[in-house]
Amino acid sequence: MDFSTSITLNGLIQQFLIGLSRTTILFIVSSGLSLVLGVLRIPNVAHGSLYMLGAFLCYTIASFLGASSLGFWLAILLAPLVVALVSLAVERGLFCHLYDREHLMLLLFTFALMLIFGDVVKAVWGSEYRSLSPPEVFQGSLSILGMPFPKYNLFLLCAGPVVAFALWFLTQKTKIGKIARAAAVDRDMVAAVGINVSWVFASVFVIGCYLAGLGGALVAPTQNISQGMDHTIIMEAFLIVIIGGLGNVWGALLGALIFGLTASMGILVWPQFSIVFPYAAVVIVLVFRPKGLLKATW
Amino acid sequence: MRKGLAMFVAVVVSVMFLVSSVSSFAADEIKVGIIDTYSGPPSSYALDVLDGFKLALNKINADGGVVGKKIVFVTRDDKFKVDLGLTAAKELIMRENVTILMGTINSAVSLAVSDLAKKEKIPFLVTYGKSSNITGAKGHKYVFSMNENTEMIGKAAAIGLAKRPFVNYWIAGDDYEYGHAIADAVWNHLKKIKPDVQLMGQSWWKVGEPDFTPYITSILSSKPDAVIVATGGAGCIPFLKAAKNTGFTSKVPIYMHTGTELSTLRPLGLDAPEGVIGTSNYYFYYPETPENKIFVEEFKKAYGRYPSFGSLIGLYTANFIAKAFEKAGKVDSEKFAEALSGLTIDSPVGKLTVREFDNQVMLPMFMGVTKKAPGFDFLIATDIVTIPADELMPSIENIKTIREK
Repeated sequence: MDFSTSITLNGLIQQFLIGLSRTTILFIVSSGLSLVLGVLRIPNVAHGSLYMLGAFLCYTIASFLGASSLGFWLAILLAPLVVALVSLAVERGLFCHLYDREHLMLLLFTFALMLIFGDVVKAVWGSEYRSLSPPEVFQGSLSILGMPFPKYNLFLLCAGPVVAFALWFLTQKTKIGKIARAAAVDRDMVAAVGINVSWVFASVFVIGCYLAGLGGALVAPTQNISQGMDHTIIMEAFLIVIIGGLGNVWGALLGALIFGLTASMGILVWPQFSIVFPYAAVVIVLVFRPKGLLKATW
Repeated sequence: MRKGLAMFVAVVVSVMFLVSSVSSFAADEIKVGIIDTYSGPPSSYALDVLDGFKLALNKINADGGVVGKKIVFVTRDDKFKVDLGLTAAKELIMRENVTILMGTINSAVSLAVSDLAKKEKIPFLVTYGKSSNITGAKGHKYVFSMNENTEMIGKAAAIGLAKRPFVNYWIAGDDYEYGHAIADAVWNHLKKIKPDVQLMGQSWWKVGEPDFTPYITSILSSKPDAVIVATGGAGCIPFLKAAKNTGFTSKVPIYMHTGTELSTLRPLGLDAPEGVIGTSNYYFYYPETPENKIFVEEFKKAYGRYPSFGSLIGLYTANFIAKAFEKAGKVDSEKFAEALSGLTIDSPVGKLTVREFDNQVMLPMFMGVTKKAPGFDFLIATDIVTIPADELMPSIENIKTIREK
């Protein structure tokens, strides 16, 4: 079978754009994971569960408000906020008592959280698949270079840079961002100058989890909302964070680009074995840069 | 001290009494052990089977049961894992003393339990596993398939697709046993019926792939006449969703085995694309027999939703069990297995027979095309063509040769 005959330039560009829109989701989720990892030093395995929770909440809020476009936008807005509230409760109620424990303990704890969230989602929403339609304006597809391009993916393409800019602004220009960056380097020193590190940690944790919820809410119209979506995303998010550099938000962006684009280009070039491409990219990066592409904060 | 001893004796005696009363109570029952996936995404199918089974069982028991005994069941969750399924099956045989076993949606678990059933001489009725090996290469006296299998799907799809004008095909599917088995079965039979078909290319994705858009755009860029999509369970829904968003089905017709089934179309609501060609063994709106209408009405009344193919499997499996015990005349695993083989019952889709040679239930298949319909908030299948069971049963000669190998 000849697999390369059908590749045209238009197809290549199309596939690149599709890959970029998928990258958006990967970036949003893994930047949140990276943020928590960098500042709090917690490998939060439950991050994927919050992503799943975001998707389910988005579905429930949108269907509660009626299947209108307004309902959808409110759901995109509210679902991550609810996830953030849940994470605030988890942080204040449980996490903040555990920061002195070793990493392994924290890892086990977040693993337990993942199982609990999984069961909570099952108990509340049941095991049926759910599906959410994108709002009217983003339904169907546009023709780009003679190829159909889903309108909703176009929206995702725009959402990515917005989130990236917001994150940049937050970490570089705001006080809490600066404190958080300082705490990532040396938390004892930050505490020594009289800053309440505990609340800094709480805010960073909540922001990280908000991003997981946002990723889940944004992805909801493109796939089925079901149990198990937590496992898929957490694997990919960790790989992205590892190749980007642990705890480095821009590393997460770079990692997401590498992962998302190799996946979608691989599908075009060699569809039979496309699964291999993003993982091969991860291996290659780690062979040459075992600590990730950008500077890790660990 | 004396008082303590008296107490102890009293407790022991009452426990013994309780135990003996439980076992004497159990003698009036026929116990069915069900192993299935009751957690995670596959559980929606398993619960449909269980609800259909319960509906039929309640009726049988209300009429006095069979051979003077009520049929009861116990369930175990295999969590879609072979080791858990096997442990559960052993426990059901040893501790619960079940007379027969049924389940599971996972083909690998079904095959493992079937192996145990053969050793323990306990009949095992596979409800949703679709591997053709269950009653084919690995078939034996004690295993029964209550479902279609990949071989039957392949034959039915090939018969239906050969009537359409497509020549250049693309195959895309889940990169695991079921996906490849379906794709191979459809393609091999299609090639036999219509030798001029061409395979342009294939795409395989990992199970649980969340976003199919990049796969669809890459397939579109090579412009095949039709695409055979070999996904199972959870994959169907996001695939159809991405197909709708990219306008895939308006450009290239796709065939997906479960694409017209209620389990796939109901969760999608009106987000499902029109024009998907699919095969299914059951629609709650087809065939329009009085038996089917009664079943749909009763199921809806009991559970507040339409029955799916899984619910139908549950229903006729219970009826097969009751009829087989009646024919056997007593509660005996060996006699049950002999009675069930070759048995025929009435069902909402007409008369069903368990083929004597391989214990495979003979199910007709329906090929339809998805379409929006007034009165439903999800898509339904239209232009339904029936492919009778005897046209799509795996050939006995073939099974004989594979089993001899």
